Amino acid sequence: MPKKKIILTGIGASPGEIGGRVEIVNSSKEINGLKECRIIVSSFLTPDLLPEIKKNKYILGMVTDRGGRTCHAAIVARELGIPYIAGAMNATKLLSKNKEINMDGRKGIIYEA
Amino acid sequence: MKPKRFLKIESIKKLQKYGLPIPKTIFIFDFQKQEKEIDEFLKNRRYITVRSDKREDTDFCPHWLGCSVKKAKNFIRKITLQGYAVILHEMVPIYRERASGNILVLKKYFFVELMGVGPLTWITREGKVSEWIKVRKNDLKEVSHTGKRFLKKKELKNILKLAKRVPPYRVLEFSLRPEGLYFWQIIEDKTSKNLE
Repeated sequence: MPKKKIILTGIGASPGEIGGRVEIVNSSKEINGLKECRIIVSSFLTPDLLPEIKKNKYILGMVTDRGGRTCHAAIVARELGIPYIAGAMNATKLLSKNKEINMDGRKGIIYEA
Repeated sequence: MKPKRFLKIESIKKLQKYGLPIPKTIFIFDFQKQEKEIDEFLKNRRYITVRSDKREDTDFCPHWLGCSVKKAKNFIRKITLQGYAVILHEMVPIYRERASGNILVLKKYFFVELMGVGPLTWITREGKVSEWIKVRKNDLKEVSHTGKRFLKKKELKNILKLAKRVPPYRVLEFSLRPEGLYFWQIIEDKTSKNLE
């Protein structure tokens, strides 16, 4: 099996492996506007964004620059069973819109697809 | 129907039950009946910390982290009239911490997430974590470490020895300050079972 190239690592905050395209989001409007399955990437998911995340069925996974396993966003991700990598510094710089990635929410690793 | 509970006050009582250090604290449910108790608490202090709690209400509650004793009684009276129970702490000023953070207690591990100075809501609500540590529970050995190091390993070990008393799947909020260690809250997190 070919070795997968690691793009970025962070803190595995909600387990699960998934692949998909990236969408950079920074507001509830952007989350609300998501109509295709995507891995959302953000600097952080503050509590005001979490209700939109709970409502949106197109979110495959979540990656944030900041945060950890004890943040509200991590608890919500685990409740919903969505893989989540927190504290992946520079995620919003290194991952661009529509880039295809694979993520492992237990190990906290983002691979090239 | 389950009776509505004061969740924040229960959480502080649990910290006391597990023998974790907290600032000197009293709870006010009835201003008039407890006025003497309030006066006694305010005596010989210049500032106190006032927090509040509402039954089953996890939303924002009024608080005054550095309330002067002169203004305290009016503020306490006002918020008790609005239906809040009041938590009075001896004042522990923020921005003087050596480190603040959360300890997530699992069955076999602790996950510790730390920041420097500032209110702990910066971690939970804004994700301002600068150090992530995974520690094996039985021998308190670090399994992994990422980020800046705020505490000496021995200091962290001493804090985690206390956290061993707490059942798994709970988050403990704490801060280590020049004058000592304080725990602020204990929160149940059933979702953390997925991290075992």
